[in-house]
Amino acid sequence: MDLFPLWLSLGVSLTATALTLLLGVPMAWVLARKRFPGRNFLEALVVLPLVLPPTVLGYYLLLLLGRRGPVGAALAALGAEIAFTWRAAVVAAVVGSIALLIKAAQAGFESVDRQLEQAARTLGRSEWGVFWSVTLPLAWRAVLAGTILAFCRAMGEFGITLMLAGSIPGRTQTLPLAIYDHVQANQMREANALALIAVGVVALLVFGLSRFARVRF
Amino acid sequence: MARNMITVAVVKRLPGFTLDIAWSAEEPVAVLFGPSGAGKTLTLQCLAGLIRPEAGRIVVDGRVFFDAALGINLPPPRRRIGYVFQGYALFPHLTVTGNVAFGLRDRPRAERLDRTREVIERLGLRGIEERYPRELSGGQRQRVALGRALAIDPALLLLDEPLSALDRPLRESLRDELRRILDDWQRAVVVVTHDFAEAYRLGDRVIVYDAGRVVQSAPRSELLWQPASESVARIMGIRNVLRGTVVKATSDRIQVRWRGLTLEAVNSPTRSYLPPPDAPIAFFIRPEYVRLIRKDRGAPDPVHHMNLMTGVVVSDVDFGTTWTLRIRLDEPGEPAQGAFDLEVEVPRLVYEILEIDRDRHWQLSIHRGSIHVLPA
Repeated sequence: MDLFPLWLSLGVSLTATALTLLLGVPMAWVLARKRFPGRNFLEALVVLPLVLPPTVLGYYLLLLLGRRGPVGAALAALGAEIAFTWRAAVVAAVVGSIALLIKAAQAGFESVDRQLEQAARTLGRSEWGVFWSVTLPLAWRAVLAGTILAFCRAMGEFGITLMLAGSIPGRTQTLPLAIYDHVQANQMREANALALIAVGVVALLVFGLSRFARVRF
Repeated sequence: MARNMITVAVVKRLPGFTLDIAWSAEEPVAVLFGPSGAGKTLTLQCLAGLIRPEAGRIVVDGRVFFDAALGINLPPPRRRIGYVFQGYALFPHLTVTGNVAFGLRDRPRAERLDRTREVIERLGLRGIEERYPRELSGGQRQRVALGRALAIDPALLLLDEPLSALDRPLRESLRDELRRILDDWQRAVVVVTHDFAEAYRLGDRVIVYDAGRVVQSAPRSELLWQPASESVARIMGIRNVLRGTVVKATSDRIQVRWRGLTLEAVNSPTRSYLPPPDAPIAFFIRPEYVRLIRKDRGAPDPVHHMNLMTGVVVSDVDFGTTWTLRIRLDEPGEPAQGAFDLEVEVPRLVYEILEIDRDRHWQLSIHRGSIHVLPA
């Protein structure tokens, strides 16, 4: 049985989760701690991927990142084509999952008593130091919970991926797309196997971490 | 002398509240005292650099922390301030050692360890170094918070309601311990409290706050006997704050008409407060300075017993070692304080010997030195 979709999905989801952390944690901190004009707009923008139809999101991303899109053309000129490559699957997974991380991390940061951060400031820490020595150590469970949710969501990403990356077997066909294809082709045994694997990976993550790291979702 | 000098003048506008204060202290321990919401904590936050005032100047030990006109505003890490927050704000993810050493990160490792050990030793935290804040008692938490602040050898120590998180018996013993630590410390300290007993016990200078302003700043003993105004007396929780009219004022005496009586009070010569006749005047009489005239000792003599009056005990409250009697005078008209005119405090022994529970009608006398006139 061809396990390429599983390895692709794992690779794409891990890459996407790393990017999500890199972009999402600072964003969550800004939303939790800073007051600035346009903050409400930013907050709404963050949850947009959760409420828009994935195909609509995928469609606009395609317009943006496709070979003729403004960003896509520029990147293609640099030799980094996005649409219909594995990179597109990563972009799709980040867009589809980042809101989950941001919301969870933001709630985690907001629950940290600001007085503790003030105490750290009076004890000589810079803003950067305050984040690493107080805010993050006290909110890491929430950040981890958000990371797991985002990873699982990335594993399951379907609509955006289909629009932006296509479903090219051996290139951009991720696990959910492969399951769909198998069902379409009436290969129920393969579909069944891949679905069970997907359930296994997610169950392992969610139950394993909630048990060992006492993470609450 | 200038070593401990703190000069603060700040204006900070918040929605619905304006802090506009100025005071200075040469004494080692300055206490900001006043009701909650008066702006005391806000002042500490300005001192620590956690809040930026709109205008003003803050100078500690000759170092300018803030000067709106010159555009100076040192960030908190550069002010080197030890701030003990209300509720202590200990880091819950760090042990006692981790909390105490938190501010020492930039020191060389050996120095950090030495300093941490020294502070743990001095504050009696030996044996609980590896515990987390949630595993500590209230008194231990307070000492850890104090140790964490003192470890960085701050130029100024700020304590926000240091004892309010503790139960009463513990609070009283820790108040003395805290005073000892502060005496030992020998650096500028600013304490915030809404409890006058605490302010008096801890402070060398007491700065009275009300509604975002300083209403009095005085050495503690001066404040105790000479509150600057009726409102200061009320904020201090002084009992028997009363209002009458002036009969006659000279530099050393003041005669006050109150409840149909003419009381004679000592006028403070240093203050030379000389209100015109018939001016309204506030004064207070400490409940423990009102004397009950014994009925078994003959008539009161005018030299020792002045400001005589008679009245009935309308209610009394047992405080254990003392009794508080609420007395309504025999004079016609509305009583001065609702159902009664004066609160009188007597030791339990006096209450028992005089059988006050049975005998309710008494003649009272108040020495002229015990009637304190409050300038308008």
